[in-house]
Amino acid sequence: MEKIFLKNDLGLDKYPFKGLRNALKGSPEDVVQKIKESGLRGRGGAGFPAGIKWEYANSIDNEIKFVICNADEGEPGTFKDRFLMENLPEKVIEGIIICAYAVKSNYGYIYIRGEYEKAIKIIKNKIKDLYKSNVLGRNILGTEFNFDLKVIRGAGAYVCGDETSLINSIEGERGRSRIKPPLPIEKGLYGYPTIVNNVETLSAAAEIMKYDDNPYLKMGTEKSRGTKLVSISGDVNQPGVYEVELGKITIKNIIEDLAGGVSNGELGFVIPGGVATEALGPDEIDVPYTYENLMELNSGIGSGGMIVVSNKRNYFEIIKNVSNFFKNETCGTCFPCREANRNINALLNHNKLMSDLTSEQIEIITEIKETIGYASRCGFGQASVNFILSVLEKFNDGRVNS
Amino acid sequence: MEKYFQKELLEELHELRETYGYIPEEDIVRIAQRRNIPKAHLYGVISFYSMFHLKPTGKYIIKVCDSVSCRIAESESVIDAIIKFTKVTPGNTSEDKKFTLEVAECLGHCGEGPVMTINGEFYTYLTPQKVVNILKTLD
Repeated sequence: MEKIFLKNDLGLDKYPFKGLRNALKGSPEDVVQKIKESGLRGRGGAGFPAGIKWEYANSIDNEIKFVICNADEGEPGTFKDRFLMENLPEKVIEGIIICAYAVKSNYGYIYIRGEYEKAIKIIKNKIKDLYKSNVLGRNILGTEFNFDLKVIRGAGAYVCGDETSLINSIEGERGRSRIKPPLPIEKGLYGYPTIVNNVETLSAAAEIMKYDDNPYLKMGTEKSRGTKLVSISGDVNQPGVYEVELGKITIKNIIEDLAGGVSNGELGFVIPGGVATEALGPDEIDVPYTYENLMELNSGIGSGGMIVVSNKRNYFEIIKNVSNFFKNETCGTCFPCREANRNINALLNHNKLMSDLTSEQIEIITEIKETIGYASRCGFGQASVNFILSVLEKFNDGRVNS
Repeated sequence: MEKYFQKELLEELHELRETYGYIPEEDIVRIAQRRNIPKAHLYGVISFYSMFHLKPTGKYIIKVCDSVSCRIAESESVIDAIIKFTKVTPGNTSEDKKFTLEVAECLGHCGEGPVMTINGEFYTYLTPQKVVNILKTLD
């Protein structure tokens, strides 16, 4: 049931960099065109079409541009980027170089969360080797193209996964988000045009460039092309990182066929894409795993971090746990995000049972969600109440485990 | 652009953290002077990031994850066992400077929870008994 695409080349002795070689044979615009055609969408959570981003970055005329690989994976339940960096580090780096070539950039960073010590070590060593084998540095693989790549470690701040916060962090500032516009592509790191892509997006780009035809066009649905890595954890028998073809498998299939089914009772709910996405109940999981289908349910693929919760768990404790997370990790810049997450937390902790919450209190949380959605700068704030409110709305029916 | 070829502040702070376990005051003064930034600003940056400490830490920094997936795998009982063994509450360092305990957000090993790191090294599938056995081996 897994569809192996990104996971190709696992355990290969010598990585051939075929995607990079192919990319360097054509013009940067050819690469942009192929990625655009592929329909690849950003795999960090937002799902923005990668080709359109690359095309815009390519079109900006500036001698100095930066490429940043966002490896600050911190969304609870998400560990697919760690999987890629630890098991396919060359493919990750290859994707960064291809992106740099496509947008005509000569300088790059990979920002890896500080806790991922193993991944950091692996990527650092690979970079060193690749400078020696002329895959990085000057005149890459005998071409005119030059590209330098540095590792920078995050230091324990979830919000730095937001691209503008990440840029501030590299600059040595607090990881606070920036107001957009200007977009980082226009004015980013040290004031220069900067394109930021997630680890999985770049790895997929590297794999796409390996082929003469466009394999992504043959996989997935019109709006959700290709494959997606799903990291699944919680109450399942076989947690892990699985690769699925979008649209060809339902969430139910992922839980039951790939992850070995629910452990510890029956399915209570599933968080499909990290705690920034809305929970889905047992009657909602027979849905094709695509951006569009999950959006119809007001949820999303998000980061691909799927958390399964059995009906024996205390749901209220889980939303309190998630609320603590958002309260602790808000960067504090936008007042609605900082204060609202604190207030929601206080409100939840004020009650012992979910059923103790009054309809007025739920109404307050609903209003807060709307306010944060309008008034916070980055995705962190905008998505911070999704999961909590969805559980309150869907499962606050006085059951024992609430 | 020359900034790209210099060491980033975060990397400089990481190196101090790796050497001393925390960021000593005299280094803050030195860095602030050399980078020509106010000391207060630098404190602001350091205190933003949970991996950087302003006070001396213990010989062993224990970070235990309590995010959703680990919580489902019963991280709470593991945290209780650590507190009981080390006699340190989260966010603090033991008097003998042996242990610093932190309850951390998702450490990215959600399929193998509960998890903790001790000085960066991962320990997975923890139980209260297992965690005590691991802590006992530390001198």
